[in-house]
Amino acid sequence: MPIENEYSLQDLADLTGVTPRTIRFYVAQGLLPSPGRVGPGATYGSGHFARLRLIRQLQREHLPLAEIRARLESLDDAAVEAIVAAPSTPPTPGSAADYIRGVLAKSRVADAPAADTLAAPARPMAQSMPAMPALHEAPPPESPSADRSQWDRVVLVPDVELHVRRPLTRQLNKKVERVIAIARELLEEDPS
Amino acid sequence: MSFSVRTDRKLIRPTFKSNRFVLAEIVAPPSRREHGRPPVNLAFVLDRSGSMNGEKIRLAKQAIEASIARLHDDDRFAIVVYDEQIDVVVGSTRATAVARRTAVARLSEIGARGSTNLGEGWLRGCEQVAAELSAQGVNRCLLLTDGLANQGITDRGELATHARELRTRGVSTTTFGVGDDFDEVLLQALAAAGGGHFYYIASAAAIEDLVTSEVGETLDVVARDVLVQVTAPAGVGVESLSPHQTRERGGRTEIIVGDLTADERVSVVLRLTFLYGQLGWSTGVVVGLADRDDVLAEGGVKLAWEYATDQANDGQDRDRDVDRAVARIFAARARQEAVALNRVGDYQAAQQAIRATARRIRKYAGHDQELRSIVDGLEAEEGRFVAPMPEMSRKMAFAASSYEMNSRSVVGKAITGPSPKEA
Repeated sequence: MPIENEYSLQDLADLTGVTPRTIRFYVAQGLLPSPGRVGPGATYGSGHFARLRLIRQLQREHLPLAEIRARLESLDDAAVEAIVAAPSTPPTPGSAADYIRGVLAKSRVADAPAADTLAAPARPMAQSMPAMPALHEAPPPESPSADRSQWDRVVLVPDVELHVRRPLTRQLNKKVERVIAIARELLEEDPS
Repeated sequence: MSFSVRTDRKLIRPTFKSNRFVLAEIVAPPSRREHGRPPVNLAFVLDRSGSMNGEKIRLAKQAIEASIARLHDDDRFAIVVYDEQIDVVVGSTRATAVARRTAVARLSEIGARGSTNLGEGWLRGCEQVAAELSAQGVNRCLLLTDGLANQGITDRGELATHARELRTRGVSTTTFGVGDDFDEVLLQALAAAGGGHFYYIASAAAIEDLVTSEVGETLDVVARDVLVQVTAPAGVGVESLSPHQTRERGGRTEIIVGDLTADERVSVVLRLTFLYGQLGWSTGVVVGLADRDDVLAEGGVKLAWEYATDQANDGQDRDRDVDRAVARIFAARARQEAVALNRVGDYQAAQQAIRATARRIRKYAGHDQELRSIVDGLEAEEGRFVAPMPEMSRKMAFAASSYEMNSRSVVGKAITGPSPKEA
């Protein structure tokens, strides 16, 4: 069953996990083009589907709605499709060769004898080892200094926003992610 | 090339969580060899520890010779041998006639000795591949061993992590375990995380066939880094029962199928979990296919489910092909679990693992012949696991299950062509 090119509002909502109300809001805000027809029999196409998915994707990156709109305006359907369908090769943090060098160097250091004997004199190898980290790593500051931080607006649903001052500690960031997920789920429930 | 997606049942329950299964079947496009193929970049990593002595090392060397004979001038290969010491016998080189001759001469000087630093031997092989990564072709390290990792990095989890990291950086790993003494859990984990294949070679005589077959598959790879992508509404859980790795990206669940060779047929079984909902409502997912070079470009397939009464749910039709695929995977998982329990001497638990799975499949088997034979097969095997099994039987049962779950033939090779039903 290949994908059909026409969806009802409910179809589109089911497929993207965005409520019909929000979809209508996006149309009103110009984030989505108007449906083929208006009223209860309105039909939406694969362009709508792709755009909605991109909106969700960008929201997950916490972009404000205005920014999302600006980005969508600059893209035609094909470009949107290409972004959401992009085969997602992960950004490679360093090449395979670098990675292997790192692993082999580490395993050789670990294999080196006498690392734990007190009496062992300093060996030349120790010089090539990375500097020891401080005994206890200083925790990141609770609230980063004002000059380096910035407020992010996270749109939870069309009428509700969350403001977050970044950067956050990793732990707090995780919690905020959860708050956003829970809040979106709660706020997007259809009042039925 | 074909891509089909179906579900076992189309109705879900409004007042309970429902589990539904989805079977995605991919048949890769035909070979592109007539039009020239992208070059491959391989490393052969050979265990030459004492236990490999005799036939095993002789046949393994012969298999490498036969494999490099199949390469073109544009392909690359390297040969690394290891015991407690690692030797790069042939550094990554283009597979010219001269290079191949030199390799054969150097291989002939290698004898077996010492213990096994599998981890570093394998990594050094990967290093050779990584040094000359091919942008279009397959970059793979092939590790052949009959022993355990007992020197250097020996932790399975750590080695599997390295395999996964290397794969994301373009180097995949295939493993061949020979005889009774290798660690199949480690070799399967390396291949699964490394995006290659795991082979069990019970008798050294089969080394050449399987090694050259694996090399042949890399030569005929028609789609790299194939992904099954599932887009589901919030609240619908997506989980792969097939042993492929999964990840969440861009709001989708991606099941990493890996490289597909010409005409290869692969099945992926998913379990979806639906929350309760209102009678008459419907929900759906889109299952799509993607790959690194965009050769499988396929529109997504839309599947829909409807919330219906319990009565309608109980009476609904089932897609038996999906049921069978699900049952085969659960049976294979139970066998691997039973092998592991048998090895540690927990025979009761091993028997229980088999029995519980048989019971579960029986519940939905109905009169379906194939499902019943899966149940009968499990019940007939139950007795094997209640006493210490010979190591070879354990390895065979483990490998057969691994092949089943990964859509490989009974000897571990790729399965090609349309599914028997459509043919």
